[in-house]
Amino acid sequence: MTDSIHAIPRRRALLLAAGAGAALAAPGIARAQTFPERPITLLVPFATGGYNDRLARAMAPFVQKHIGQPVTVVNRPGGGTVLGNTFYMQQPDDGYMVMVHSAGPYIPLSILTRNARYKADDFHMINLPSRDLTLAACATSKGINSIDEVVQRLKADPRSLSIGVQPASADLINMALWMQAHGIDRSRVRVVTYDGGGPARTATAGGHVDVGFVGGEGFLPIKDRIKPLLLFSDEKSTDYPDAPLLTDHARAAGFQPQSVDGSQRGFVVLKRFVAAQPERYAILLRAIEAATKDPECVSTLGNQQLATTWYGPEASNRAYLSSAALMERYADLLKQA
Amino acid sequence: MIDFPAFGAALNMLGGSLDAWIWVVPGLLIGLLFGALPGISVSMAMALVLPATLYMDFLPAIIFLTSVYTGAGFGGSIPAVLINIPGTSSAVATTFDGYPMAQKGLHNEALGAALVSSCIGVLISYVILFVLVQPLAEIVLRIGPYEMAAIGIWGLVLLGSIGGSSVTKGLFAAGIGVLCGTVGMNTAGYMRGDMGIPWLLDGVPTIPAMVGLLAASQLFALVNAKFIVADESKRTISLRRIIAGGGLVLGSPVALLRGSFIGVFIGAVPGVGSSIANLISYGEARRVSPDPESYGKGNPRGLIAAESANSSSEGGSMATMLALGIPGGGATAILLASFAMHNVIGGPRFMEQNRDIVYAIIISNFAQALILLLVGTAFVFVASTVVRLPLRYLIPSVLVMSTMGAFAIEGSIAGPITLFVFAVLGWLMSRYGFPVAAIVVGLLLGKLIETELLRAWQLAGGDPLYILEHPVAVGILVLMAVSLGLSLRRDIRRRRALKAASAVA
Repeated sequence: MTDSIHAIPRRRALLLAAGAGAALAAPGIARAQTFPERPITLLVPFATGGYNDRLARAMAPFVQKHIGQPVTVVNRPGGGTVLGNTFYMQQPDDGYMVMVHSAGPYIPLSILTRNARYKADDFHMINLPSRDLTLAACATSKGINSIDEVVQRLKADPRSLSIGVQPASADLINMALWMQAHGIDRSRVRVVTYDGGGPARTATAGGHVDVGFVGGEGFLPIKDRIKPLLLFSDEKSTDYPDAPLLTDHARAAGFQPQSVDGSQRGFVVLKRFVAAQPERYAILLRAIEAATKDPECVSTLGNQQLATTWYGPEASNRAYLSSAALMERYADLLKQA
Repeated sequence: MIDFPAFGAALNMLGGSLDAWIWVVPGLLIGLLFGALPGISVSMAMALVLPATLYMDFLPAIIFLTSVYTGAGFGGSIPAVLINIPGTSSAVATTFDGYPMAQKGLHNEALGAALVSSCIGVLISYVILFVLVQPLAEIVLRIGPYEMAAIGIWGLVLLGSIGGSSVTKGLFAAGIGVLCGTVGMNTAGYMRGDMGIPWLLDGVPTIPAMVGLLAASQLFALVNAKFIVADESKRTISLRRIIAGGGLVLGSPVALLRGSFIGVFIGAVPGVGSSIANLISYGEARRVSPDPESYGKGNPRGLIAAESANSSSEGGSMATMLALGIPGGGATAILLASFAMHNVIGGPRFMEQNRDIVYAIIISNFAQALILLLVGTAFVFVASTVVRLPLRYLIPSVLVMSTMGAFAIEGSIAGPITLFVFAVLGWLMSRYGFPVAAIVVGLLLGKLIETELLRAWQLAGGDPLYILEHPVAVGILVLMAVSLGLSLRRDIRRRRALKAASAVA
């Protein structure tokens, strides 16, 4: 009796082994050509309507055109992308789901400040076309004329100006490094925290706080109400051509400029998948590259203020990992908002 | 302030385009249906249809989305009145008097009153938007943490002890609500009470928690009943009585106008919106009423106050979005996304350069309010057949739908789990005479008050006297203290008079 019970599983195991053997024996190219054989999902770890969501939805028809399968967008917001990232880690490595993500700073930040269980290195960037930079700005009604004036007043009395910023953000790191460089005691400055870029911008434009440190892109619709004081970048921005740059500001003040990108957004997969399914990864990479460079895509997305620059995996991963490393280095700055 | 040439152009734009009109009724119906399903919020209904708008022209797309917005704003009130479960978080205060009315067999009147107050609320809010969009946006932008904290505290004081057998039990329940509302990451980035569960990083999911609390306390109480309306002769569905309910609204113009203004104003404040507006409006209506005890027992004025405020917040948040480009909440964020999908950046420049389009959107919303009156009446007429459904069918269906809604809104099992945990809490609380509504109020207002107070404290750098630099906030708090003092004195006098009367007898 025991034999008969065991017999079935053994036979099943044999069949399974045979099947697996057959799959392994099948030529890799033949298998690769069947991918993708069902729709691809773009996973956005944010709610509908944000930059990543718009980017994913705008790119979807072009990726679809170049990969030959329908492409749909799914949102899984929450927990500063922890929920979306964790969900993505649980998916099979079959290449049917690709993230559209503000990988930097959200992945490293969620690890440093929300104890997420994945590592920055678990993710692989296909292309990060969009970057957003921290902008220090004040309401035009505030009568603050320059960043030097802000430095002067904060140096004379750290309590003289209130500063609005998001906790656990690249903006906070940039603000902290900037204050450190000027020898301003951050613990004495009146730092007001906002749980989101939107509220921080409203508070800046409404003059609730004197100066706001927050991603510059979101300020564009209310550009007329704010005065850009300092852009945390080393190159001129087309959005804020008149904003002083951190590099120039630092040179004048005599310190080494250091900053992290506010957001690096684009297509992300898991490193695990790249290693396990190199052919499928190559197909995805080719399709996303072709879609990004598609002239129709470039013009459509350009009209929607969405970026379509092709940096490729190598440059994108380098940018992502270096900003993740910087954030890790300054992790303690994040913990004392 | 009205640009007449642009107004004319807007009329032409709407008059000459069938596209701009064919989406209104489908939009309203989608909104009504999703709004009425417990757990699907206004912004979620809009998010669901957002991808479809990619294939429309700009104006029809925005009109379609605002139709869904308008429809969902009222849709949430239907289950609030009929089964005491707000379909959206904006309809919480609607349950306070709407459901008692339904229980008395006044469901037709209650739904009629809710519909008419909603339609008029939308109308008034868009009239204000039409005339005062710029000044309103300017005022709203100045409202900082001090003012918001004061408004939130006012709301909590007005409603903290709602519907309970005693004030202490009410305050205890509100305290539990506030505590639950502060779970998750606070605005300064500190985690509290998340117990290591990633689903709690953003706090307790409000809508499943709210549905759980209200549904469970209600449905368990109904276990021995056979129908929502006990008296069989009153279980009628009558168009005449729905219209008569609408008539009630016209008989209370003060409640209607007060609610609409509160709704426009609070709805316009970024990050606050209709779920707070309906509570504050209800609280105010109850405070100024000569007969506050009748509230919560089926006073149509409470229903009118709640409904006019939650609907008029739509116009308020549209004002902030159009004049400043700032999304006040989820719904306007989706509208802005749709703008972006059509290569349009919302904000002051859009308003200046495309005044005709803005007017077309506003005029279309006037029309939507009127069309909602018709579509809504038909919808309500069908929906109110619920009162004829035996509870042994209704209760399980509602539970299943709430669970699915909770799953839909969270996109994970965290929603249903929250629903069940809070259902048990709600049942326990109501079993021992604690007002469940006060927990919901605490849950909704607690987070707001905590966030704003913390920012106020940061802004002051720890100096309590800094509040003196915010006269509006001080004004609100003083007004609150005075009004509390007055109502306390009134209560004491009334009690004395009662005592004297009973002593004489």
